[in-house]
Amino acid sequence: MLQHAAQEHAPAPVSEGFDAGRVIIEHVSNTSVDHPLIHLPKVLGIDLSVTKHVLMLWIVAAVLATIAILTVRRFLRQERLVPTGFMNALEAVVLYVRDTIVEPNLGRKWTASWTPFVLTLFLFILFANAVGLIPVFEVIGLIDRLVLHTAPDSFLNRMLHGGTTATANYNVTAGLAVITFLAIIAAGTVAHGFVQHWKNLVPHGLAWPIYILLIPIEIIGMLVRPFALTMRLAANMTGGHIAILAMLSFVFLFAEMAGHAIVGIGVGLAVSVPLAVAITTLEIIVVLVQAYVFALLSAVFIGMAIHAHH
Amino acid sequence: MEFLYIGGVALGLGLVVLGAGLGIGRLAAGLAEGVSRQPGATAQITGAVNLPLFLLEGVAILAEVFILLVVLMRE
Repeated sequence: MLQHAAQEHAPAPVSEGFDAGRVIIEHVSNTSVDHPLIHLPKVLGIDLSVTKHVLMLWIVAAVLATIAILTVRRFLRQERLVPTGFMNALEAVVLYVRDTIVEPNLGRKWTASWTPFVLTLFLFILFANAVGLIPVFEVIGLIDRLVLHTAPDSFLNRMLHGGTTATANYNVTAGLAVITFLAIIAAGTVAHGFVQHWKNLVPHGLAWPIYILLIPIEIIGMLVRPFALTMRLAANMTGGHIAILAMLSFVFLFAEMAGHAIVGIGVGLAVSVPLAVAITTLEIIVVLVQAYVFALLSAVFIGMAIHAHH
Repeated sequence: MEFLYIGGVALGLGLVVLGAGLGIGRLAAGLAEGVSRQPGATAQITGAVNLPLFLLEGVAILAEVFILLVVLMRE
């Protein structure tokens, strides 16, 4: 949706003044599929070229895997069982997810088998969200403009376009929600067997006319849950960035309206920057809460599949 | 017509915020009341409030996404 909007707006002439909508969409959407960062061949009709959000997914996965593997290996290698240094931080996260998200919803019996899944979701979404708040690419762009002066079509310069938050892309969150959807089915199947899991979706022992109404509702409900997960995460991440950029675009809008740069700077200092800082603070909370919500709802749905007391 | 269109979208957004705000307000009031009566059960009450809170937030976000769709798919 946003990608389409970005492509529609892209050919608009730049000289006709500051277009806040175009700039904001360009900063939150993925880079165009027609101009990917890395060209890869098509496999089975699917274009595997790497765009900005795919690159961010790779970076997040690489950083997360490196941190987790190095820390856990160092913990296993040391003599004592007490963690030191960074292991404490990781241990706190692991224990938090296990004790407050997984165990209350899944019960003691299934905690050990589903904690790794929920923990992976939590950490991956948290890192992917948080990377979007760090203005890495803006700093790289500044260095590029002032020091390096690379060509407009260099890899570095093309990397500067598009949004940094991979989880603000509906396709990414849909992928994560599909994983949860499959995990719900897998959990029900492991706990009750494949046929019994589907029977558990509706309560048994009711009069037959009710089932005509109930079975479609339950099927819709089953499909709505991953859809809501998708929309909640992506819309939250996109919305926060749009709000910050809208505040900051006041600077350029007012400067253009008044015809003086000083008016824009004044509005920026008085209104835009304080508001943008406030929203960024709110965004830090949203980043944490959304990762927590995704993990919690995944655990709740898996728990519902396991403890189907109908 | 432009005015009506933008006005309708803005009104819809306002209604979404109004509904979500009322809902979250009720939840927060219930949470505060429950915790003040039973400080020992804070963790359980918070856990019970969290889930409907996030489901409510999901509905509100969905409505906002659809409003954005209405704006973007104008042509």
